[in-house]
Amino acid sequence: MPIVVVVAVPLLAAAVSGLAGWRPWVGWVGVAAAGGVTAGGVWIAVRVLDGGPVSGLEGLLRADALSAFWLVVIGVVAVLATWFGVGYIAAELADGHTTASGARVYSSLVQLFLAAMVLAVIANNLGVMWVAVEATTIATAFLVGHRRTKASLEASWKYVVVGSVGVGLAFLGTVLVYFASSHAAGGGHATLNWTGLVAAAPRLDRHVMRLAAGLLVLGFGTKVGLAPMHTWLPDAHSQAPAPVSALMSGVLLSVAFYALLRYKVIVDAALGRGFMKGLLVAVGLLSLGVAASLLIAQRDYKRLLAYSSIEHMGLLAVGAAAGSPLAIAAVLLHVAGHGLGKTVLFLGSGEILRTEGTTQIAGVRGLLARRPVIGATFGLGLLALLGLPPFSLFASEVGIARAGFAGGLGWAVTVALVLALVVFAAVVVHGQQMLLGEASATGERHPTSMATAAPLVAGLVLCTALGVTVWPIDRLLHAAAAVAAGAR
Amino acid sequence: MSRAVVGFLQVVVLVAGAPILAGLVRKVRARLEGRAGPPIAQPWRDLRKLLGKERIVPEHTSWVFAVAPLVVMCSVGLVAAIVPFASTRTPFGSAGDLFAVVYLLLLGTVFLALGGLDPGTAFGGMGASREMTLAALAEPTVLLAVFALSVPAGSSNLSAIVAATLAHPARVATLQSVLALAAFAVVTLAECGRLPVDNPSTHLELTMIHEAMVLEYAGPDLALVELASAMRLAVFAGLLANLFFPWGIATTTSPLEVVLGMAALAGKVACLGVALAVFEVFVAKLRLFRVPELLAASFVLAFLAVTASFFLT
Amino acid sequence: MTETAYAQLLDLGAGLVLVCAFVVVWRRGLVAIVRALAVQGFALAAVAVVLGVHQHALEPVVVAALVVAVKGVAVPRVLLRVVRSGGEARESDPLINIPTSLVGAAVLTLVAYATTRGVVAVSPSPATRAIPIGLAVVLIGFFVLASRRKAITQVVGFLLIDNGIALVAFLATAGLPLVVELGAALDLLLAVLVLQVLAARMRTKFGGLDLDQLQELRD
Repeated sequence: MPIVVVVAVPLLAAAVSGLAGWRPWVGWVGVAAAGGVTAGGVWIAVRVLDGGPVSGLEGLLRADALSAFWLVVIGVVAVLATWFGVGYIAAELADGHTTASGARVYSSLVQLFLAAMVLAVIANNLGVMWVAVEATTIATAFLVGHRRTKASLEASWKYVVVGSVGVGLAFLGTVLVYFASSHAAGGGHATLNWTGLVAAAPRLDRHVMRLAAGLLVLGFGTKVGLAPMHTWLPDAHSQAPAPVSALMSGVLLSVAFYALLRYKVIVDAALGRGFMKGLLVAVGLLSLGVAASLLIAQRDYKRLLAYSSIEHMGLLAVGAAAGSPLAIAAVLLHVAGHGLGKTVLFLGSGEILRTEGTTQIAGVRGLLARRPVIGATFGLGLLALLGLPPFSLFASEVGIARAGFAGGLGWAVTVALVLALVVFAAVVVHGQQMLLGEASATGERHPTSMATAAPLVAGLVLCTALGVTVWPIDRLLHAAAAVAAGAR
Repeated sequence: MSRAVVGFLQVVVLVAGAPILAGLVRKVRARLEGRAGPPIAQPWRDLRKLLGKERIVPEHTSWVFAVAPLVVMCSVGLVAAIVPFASTRTPFGSAGDLFAVVYLLLLGTVFLALGGLDPGTAFGGMGASREMTLAALAEPTVLLAVFALSVPAGSSNLSAIVAATLAHPARVATLQSVLALAAFAVVTLAECGRLPVDNPSTHLELTMIHEAMVLEYAGPDLALVELASAMRLAVFAGLLANLFFPWGIATTTSPLEVVLGMAALAGKVACLGVALAVFEVFVAKLRLFRVPELLAASFVLAFLAVTASFFLT
Repeated sequence: MTETAYAQLLDLGAGLVLVCAFVVVWRRGLVAIVRALAVQGFALAAVAVVLGVHQHALEPVVVAALVVAVKGVAVPRVLLRVVRSGGEARESDPLINIPTSLVGAAVLTLVAYATTRGVVAVSPSPATRAIPIGLAVVLIGFFVLASRRKAITQVVGFLLIDNGIALVAFLATAGLPLVVELGAALDLLLAVLVLQVLAARMRTKFGGLDLDQLQELRD
């Protein structure tokens, strides 16, 4: 079966959603599409591990271990988000926050979003990858502004403008890389195929590659949410509906990071490891600093989650800077763990918003006492995000730290750990404000339905499972890390 | 024919022809606006009338007021002599330099402004301050625009630039030439006090720049000032014509070629005059605080022309 | 086409793109700015056509047609619709006054030349020598994005950046693969359409497109 099927499934679901309008079964079609993506990812992973990278669409697409890993992560997070989305949209329709046409637009755009992300990770042609990343911006633009309030309009405007400018810079970097490949020393053959570029990398002109690397880090870094191009992130992720925030924070950021990893292999082969290392450490530490400083006085719990994403992306950047296969393996594990944990948190925040009616931290009190299921999942999610065992982020953060020390980035890792500690403190303070406390007598008891809680619990279970043992994805993880670390 | 004679001939023709150019512009404009308009030789009649009038000098003015019309006339006359109009063999060969020409023109501007300040009237001061604001922005643009042309020619001598353009005609269509032409055209409008920068026929003090400075002059002084400003327009138009479209200019000093060169210049300047008249019919005067924006834009165009001449060849 | 004619036409086309960028900085009226963008789109297409004729290749000419359709016609039309439907003053509000902005843009042009010296040196040719012009347009686009108050001028800045990148793409590579060009053009069109819808919604909610009013989300 050709690998293009993995892109076609969500596209088909988008068409179905658009044509049929919102019905309950349409929502489950979306979940099925996400499940299809996961299954496709697993199947591709099996093929890749046995027989090497798989190509499709006459060389435009190519799935290797790295792509397969990301496909699985995207698929799992999408399943959780769309699963929750079924109940979420039904509740929104019932409360009158959205209309039937709004729900139809929502479900088709989510599927298009999914399709674009899948295309980005299985593209061999880096230009196609760029097109897919820009397509995610367009698909999510209206999703962010779904609620049509002043704040969400402002957020989506900022998101589209800053995101498109960033992606435009990434395009310029792509063009420069193409230019370098056509003038490579010793006979240039202009190509945007990742495999061809990696092969020709040592012969690419250094000046051009340096300019290109800077532009690419700035450009794709905007979509990853790395400082100083992060300004759109807190607004967009906090204003979007909960499942969309989960998808954006959980996987879209990491898909953009995937693009950076792909280019890192080329740049490292062309310029040596030092250049990209320096760039990534700089933006990574800056992101950690921004997140830490703005988390302390945070008053909105959705924005708190958004800044936490910035922090984790900074950690990913520092880990990728270390560059060794072990470091990349830790980074990949972190991508998976963060995806799961952040999804659980954003979905939980959606439920909290629905029942408490406010996104202010001060407006939510005694969650554990009044609404134990939601409170517990939210609290466990926060613990997961803070890197506490038994969740997988503990193992991945330790791995990044160790690899950083081993890779000569000791001082950077120390600074990162200190900033992470600040974040820890801030999140704990805000979290316990929300969770602990007595149930007031007049507080309504909204029992959380099984359907709403199920995706949250599933996410937490997966995160724990990953933290306890990496066994199911061990081979895939190491194969993917080998690809990203430059070992053929 | 010696170079000095060529230079003298250029001055005579320009002095005679400049009021005709001004009359032509007025006539074409009138016709386009549906009026009959004054005859083309009317400016000469006005000059004759002014020369016959009594010379009035305000009290409390110094020698600057008396000397200014002479300086303005002499500076623009000198420019007419040393710039390649009829032939590239101009008197004081190497003195026909870009910087010398710009300096002479600026000298005229400054003295006219000083002459406007000298009587101590409000209009004069206002006109002088406005004129100097514009000159501060326009003069660097002239320099840069012609400098952009001098880079490929390798010399800032105007005759050398014209000769180089004759030798390589394709240079006229390069990016730096087009940009320099645009900048120079805008600056011509500013320096000669034409729309959209200044209205030469206005009588409203709110809109006066040049007219305000010369308000106190009467009789022969005014005749000199009017003639000098008409010559300024002719000089700028001639520079524009010969720097950017030099075909027809003589390259030797033989009488026949010089006469033909003069005729070619007259033809080109007449065309430019008609184009200016048509342009003035369709454009409105800019508000004064918008003029620096226009001049800054032309400065940037000239700057881009210089950048292009360095980097794109 | 002779070598000198090719170089001259290329320079004139690229120069027109840069001059249009300066016109965007210079003019105050929104309609004039959008028209300048349309002219810039046509100039871009002209550059692509010149490149295609010089290389005797068809692809750049197809791309030129695409550029005319999207950047020369469709996008300016969408923007004009937004401008004309607005009741507010049709002036872009600059934070920095115009003569200073023009000088700043000229300085950015110099910066672009300085930064891309290494790129030009890789393979000096009439096409690559004009690459700094593309980067200059990108930098001017950033400048316009950052220094104007009206939402429409933010979109204009974004489009300038995109046009500059497209110019660099044409000159540096003599055309990216058609698939990428198609995707990029489609992305641009969709982005502008999205921004148009957002602008319309913003106008209803905020009563105007003044970006200074977008102050709700803050830390």
